[in-house]
Amino acid sequence: MIEIQVTITNTSGLHARPAAQFVQKAATFKSKVKIAANNKVADGKSILAVMSMGLKQNTQITITTEGEDEKECSKALEDMIKSNFGEE
Amino acid sequence: MVGVVIVSHSQKVAEGIREMALQMSAPEQKIIAAGGMADGGIGTDAFQVSEAIISANTGDGVAVMVDLGSAVLSTETAFEFLDEELRAKVQIADAPILEGAISAVVEASLGSALAAVIATAEGARTLNKC
Amino acid sequence: MSGELYEVISAVGETIIGNRQMLTDLDAAIGDGDHGINMARGFEAVKAKLQTLETESDIGKVLKTVGMTLISSVGGAAGPLYGTAFLRAAVPSQGKTELDVETIGLMLEAAIAGIKERGKATTGEKTMLDALVPAYEAFQDGAKTGKSVIECLELACEAAQQGVEFTKTIIATKGRASYLGERSRGHQDPGATSSYIMLKALLEHLRRQ
Repeated sequence: MIEIQVTITNTSGLHARPAAQFVQKAATFKSKVKIAANNKVADGKSILAVMSMGLKQNTQITITTEGEDEKECSKALEDMIKSNFGEE
Repeated sequence: MVGVVIVSHSQKVAEGIREMALQMSAPEQKIIAAGGMADGGIGTDAFQVSEAIISANTGDGVAVMVDLGSAVLSTETAFEFLDEELRAKVQIADAPILEGAISAVVEASLGSALAAVIATAEGARTLNKC
Repeated sequence: MSGELYEVISAVGETIIGNRQMLTDLDAAIGDGDHGINMARGFEAVKAKLQTLETESDIGKVLKTVGMTLISSVGGAAGPLYGTAFLRAAVPSQGKTELDVETIGLMLEAAIAGIKERGKATTGEKTMLDALVPAYEAFQDGAKTGKSVIECLELACEAAQQGVEFTKTIIATKGRASYLGERSRGHQDPGATSSYIMLKALLEHLRRQ
């Protein structure tokens, strides 16, 4: 199991398109993915769960990955958030 | 991949929702708008809907998002025009059209089966906005 | 299409188009105020389509075209409902160039079954079925006693009119009007009304022959 902490830096937060991108990326890995923030935990492969978190810019989240490709998965998700999901 | 059809009384609404959903779709994903009447008027047209379903199907079935009232009747009528094989693989989501469409498109982009896509669309009813 | 068949459908269509405002006003009271506009739009499209069927004498084929055209042009709930009704009525009339009492009875029965199925509705819910079902029953009563097509249709029209009156006394439980609940009482149903005026237009046209 890998646990990382990362701050959401893109302007619109983990909503709509970024949420979709996150879930789509997570789904390409076999590992289980969980997002924790604001005392809530969500399944990182469920679009409804991720959108329901209402994660805004500057929120610090904890991403937990668990499975045979947990390392690659964790890295890919972290890179995606750090790259601001391609937003300006 | 499950296709998504958006049935609205307004062509602009259907096209607009499709435009938003395309932001979140996989490149090869089928999202088809079936809004308004052929003459540009407000309404739903069962033939347009059945054609949209046929174009949205790549073999894994189609989830249909509807707005109000006759959108459901027209979609159910459209089902009658489909061959039996496809008819068994289409379903209307009892969901808010915009949130449902976007959730369905993302779920479908993950390669989920029709039942899961419909369930996610219907789950969009509980999304809180504030 | 035979001249007579063309005229019958035109007569029904013109009646709907002529009652556009009345149907819309009825709908504005308890629905979304588009029934007349939608039905008129549908029958304008039917009128245009009939031009392409001039040589067609098969009543079933013509009714099928009418149903398809209504489905694709009405726009509101009446499109799939009446469209399905015409498509279903086209089945017993397929291959026929003239209609007898028995066939018309089968057509009405099939049309009503189609509306019930499509609308998941039954009588007493303040819908077109409250005009059509009594009309069908009266028609069949006439048929059993050996009455002519016109006589049977007279009975059907009378029953449909009473059905429309009946819709004033009940609350809507199907369609948009059901949102109004108790407030829908006192208003006559636009769908029942359009069903009645179509039957009446058919009867009046046949009487003139």
